[in-house]
Amino acid sequence: MTDANPTPERSTDSPADGALRISTVERLCEEIETNVSNVIVGHDEVIEHVITAVLGRGHVLLDDVPGVGKTMLARSIATSVDCTFSRVQFTPDLLPSDVTGVNVFNQKTREFEFQSGPVFGNIVLGDEINRAPPKTQAALLEAMEEEQVTTDGTTRDLPTPFTVIATQNAVEPNRTYDLPFAEVDRFMKKLHLGYPSPDEEAELLGRTVGDHPIDSLEAVTDRETLVAARETVSTVQVAAPVRTYAARLAAYTREHAHIGVSPRGTISLLRAAQARAVTNGRDYAIPDDVQTEAPVVLSHRIKTDGRDRDGTAVVEDALERVPVE
Amino acid sequence: MSTDPSSHTGQRTISIGTDRLVGTGGIRLLALACILVLTGSYVAVLYDITQVVGGSRSLFALVGLMLLAATVLARVIRPRTAGVLALSAAGIGFAYYLTSAGVELGVVLSSTDALLSDTVALATGLPLLRMVQAGIWTLGFAPAPVFLSWYLAVRGRYGLGVVPGGAALGFLVLTGDAGTIVTLTGILGAIGAIAFGDLERRGGSIGQADLLAVLFAVTIALSLSVTVVPGQPTGPTHLVQGGPGTLEATIDSAPQRSGISGQVDLSPEVRFTVESDRGTYWRTGVYDRFTGDEWVRTGQSQQYDGRLSNPPGTYDTVEQTVTAETRLGIMPVTPQPLSVDGDVTRDTAVSRHGQPRPEAPLEQGDSYTVESAIIDSSPAELRAAGTDYPDEITERYLQLPEDSSSEFADRTDEITAGTDNPYETATEIERHLRTSKDYSLKVSQPAGNVAEEFLLGMDEGYCVYFATTMTQMLREEGIPARYVTGYTTGQRIGEDEYVVRGLDAHSWVEVYVPDHGWVKFDPTPGGGRADVHTDRLQEARANGNDAADTEDSEDVPIDDGNGIDSPGSDPAGPGDPPSDPAPPNETEPGNGSTDDPGSNGTDNGTDPTDSGDPAVSGTSDTDETLSERLVTVVRETGAIGLVFLVALVAGAHRTGAATHLRQGIGRYWHGFRGDPDRDAERAFDRLEGLLARRYRPRRPSESARAYVTSLPETDADDADALDPRVWHVLECYERATYGDGVSRAEADEVIAIVDDLARNQLPIIGRLR
Repeated sequence: MTDANPTPERSTDSPADGALRISTVERLCEEIETNVSNVIVGHDEVIEHVITAVLGRGHVLLDDVPGVGKTMLARSIATSVDCTFSRVQFTPDLLPSDVTGVNVFNQKTREFEFQSGPVFGNIVLGDEINRAPPKTQAALLEAMEEEQVTTDGTTRDLPTPFTVIATQNAVEPNRTYDLPFAEVDRFMKKLHLGYPSPDEEAELLGRTVGDHPIDSLEAVTDRETLVAARETVSTVQVAAPVRTYAARLAAYTREHAHIGVSPRGTISLLRAAQARAVTNGRDYAIPDDVQTEAPVVLSHRIKTDGRDRDGTAVVEDALERVPVE
Repeated sequence: MSTDPSSHTGQRTISIGTDRLVGTGGIRLLALACILVLTGSYVAVLYDITQVVGGSRSLFALVGLMLLAATVLARVIRPRTAGVLALSAAGIGFAYYLTSAGVELGVVLSSTDALLSDTVALATGLPLLRMVQAGIWTLGFAPAPVFLSWYLAVRGRYGLGVVPGGAALGFLVLTGDAGTIVTLTGILGAIGAIAFGDLERRGGSIGQADLLAVLFAVTIALSLSVTVVPGQPTGPTHLVQGGPGTLEATIDSAPQRSGISGQVDLSPEVRFTVESDRGTYWRTGVYDRFTGDEWVRTGQSQQYDGRLSNPPGTYDTVEQTVTAETRLGIMPVTPQPLSVDGDVTRDTAVSRHGQPRPEAPLEQGDSYTVESAIIDSSPAELRAAGTDYPDEITERYLQLPEDSSSEFADRTDEITAGTDNPYETATEIERHLRTSKDYSLKVSQPAGNVAEEFLLGMDEGYCVYFATTMTQMLREEGIPARYVTGYTTGQRIGEDEYVVRGLDAHSWVEVYVPDHGWVKFDPTPGGGRADVHTDRLQEARANGNDAADTEDSEDVPIDDGNGIDSPGSDPAGPGDPPSDPAPPNETEPGNGSTDDPGSNGTDNGTDPTDSGDPAVSGTSDTDETLSERLVTVVRETGAIGLVFLVALVAGAHRTGAATHLRQGIGRYWHGFRGDPDRDAERAFDRLEGLLARRYRPRRPSESARAYVTSLPETDADDADALDPRVWHVLECYERATYGDGVSRAEADEVIAIVDDLARNQLPIIGRLR
């Protein structure tokens, strides 16, 4: 689709301060995607979604069975953009301070020093987040929303960019604490990796027999460029028809489900659409961007009362029924 | 958020535009206006009545007051209170009416069956004008429906608000007072009120009113083709003497009404014979209320109870025996009748004015005897009678239509300037009419008030015009007078025997003189009338019309000194003193004798083909009639055409035909250019139309890009391939709609592309290229 039409080079000549030209960001996204796909076989769409989430200042929830490469995906993206990467394995006995950090008494200086927790990273992987008790979950989710951490009355800003990629274990449901609905809402996207196809898996096996490609993965850009790219994404124009379209989609889900999409969800949808527009080389969002992002951005925010219909089905219906502006 | 699904596409933008033009507030105004139209329809009917009997101002004041009160109270009182208020208003109104009609309230309550039968009589076609106190009745009738319907409408209950108004209009339809147009207007108002009220309630848009327009058109078209509104009461027992277009039929169009028409004919057939000591005018009807173009007899008739009221003063009595020579729906008597004897009296009704009438028509050979009072007062006595009229006389016999012009009053004043008393005034008016106007049956009916038109604008007419005008002039001068119809004396065939034919039909005037009673005046010039009538009878005899004579009358020459129908030939002159002073009466026999004497009309015999109808329409007014008719036809056709045009437009809007047409044209012609962005959008809309025809239409939930992407790619089969330029159009469309716009040059380029694509699709040009 992107190849079929020429990218206009207009209105990108004088980007705002700190922002990059649209074409630069577009190229950057392609480079990251290519780089990551060296490690992750298949799942091109998921990779794109994670990249647009990072650019759109969102967080990602990966809902999957173990061993499909969730951690590898997060790590390869972090490496590609040359950002700090930290990983928290959530367990039932994990404490909030294990995530945020703790004040430690320094015997030499005879003062308390803050030992920052794993949350202080550019890209944080929260593995099996639903295994930790709600209190610990809340610590991470609070950091996601505020982009800052408060311990013992001191508030500390988290680094920029800050993106949480949390995974959720879909098996063993009796040993997990389900994420509260309100907290799921804080993730911009919920993605599924799923198993690779036999061909993909064969290729994956071929790559990982020797050295794991993640070890030789190099960065294609740096942290500053990523920050600038995020700046660019936020300047993408969202015209009134597109806003109306998003609002109508949300309204549809509210009318056809027990709990529909929250306004926070609609905001996330438009941010994702902005990022999506940039990856397609446009400085304006079109309904197609919204349509591409809606299934992953809206589905997990919808609570249905029926057993046979889930949020995904409601969003599919909405996309089918709501007329495009 | 608007519920309009795709306000972005061209055709929807227009409907949104009209929505903004006429919002919910506008629809509410339309609904209220429709209620006003409905109210207006029945108030207009009531106004027509008050125009005749007076009280238009009171009516308007009352209606205005009710509208104001309803507007104010709509926010204050609850519907139940309003209903009680309206009911009590109606109750007070009718109580007032009944008391002024002279009916005690107690009587009303005790005789509900009489009240019920009155209502039934009204609802089965008794015109309101026949009511004695029609003016007060309208004032009693109007407030309740006006108040209630407006109150409910202001509260937004349009459907309910139509009920009182519709009931009021329906009642007037049943009485026969509401004509087709008024009824139609009222019904359209009612439909409109309900429809617009519903639109407002359901938050509809004025764009949905197209269905309503179709409904209106259907209603109008149906009512034009099928008219079920009873315009006139048509009593089956009523028998009109003479065929349509004859003078008799005109005078006697219905038992309660006497119409005034244009040109009339005379029937030479014998109606009845009278055996009487005196030859007088034979009265058959008395009318008191003038509407401008017809006379109405107010009040209900009562069964004859053996005696009629006698005149106040001294009088002679005369007895006459009347024998019907044909089927007769009337009962000719010498005024003023005192009693009627005979078999027919069982079925005789007597009007409030003392005129008997058979309830079932008299058959040929039926006869009855009447004793009548003939007022035998000398002119001197009548001159000295003064003006001390009883109240009931002034109440009934001074009515003038409310719209009588001042010219009419001025002219009357001028004519009667030199007179000192009512009798002289009447004589002067009679003399003036006799001398200033000519007798003719060939007149076309004037529009508007007949009395005014005749006095001020016409040179000739027949008895109806003369009598009507004189009655109105007398009333203008404050002298109680009434319009009476009947027959003149007829042909005297024996010592005390008279033959009366259809052509003797006549109308004249009775003037009330205190202490004496009703005195006859005849303002119709005798000479001209006698000529016309003699000619007509001679023609009929020449044509061998058997019905024109009885056995006794056919041998009697019509000019044997007992000349037809002349009051002056009355051998009992004193019986008719009031009209005696006027000389023309006396000249009548002379006039009669100047006619061809001693003939039975043989030498006057004319061409049989036209003899039966001496009053065929004159050629002089044919042209006028034709052009008038043409104008009418054109106007009606125009109106009907307009109605159908509205229906067509609304139907087209409803079915989307107009949209299709616009789209069809729009595919090939871009139209006027404006803003580059709008042009780019419009270009894509056109492209979409083209693609829809070639591939498939875009689904509403499909984005433009998704649509184009789903179409066959460029590398597909050549014939089916998508032109790569389509992508450029899509690109520009997206930038114009969602981005920061396109330049003029880009827009023009896109338009050129779409123009080219469209031409390729044209069946003929596309093949040539």
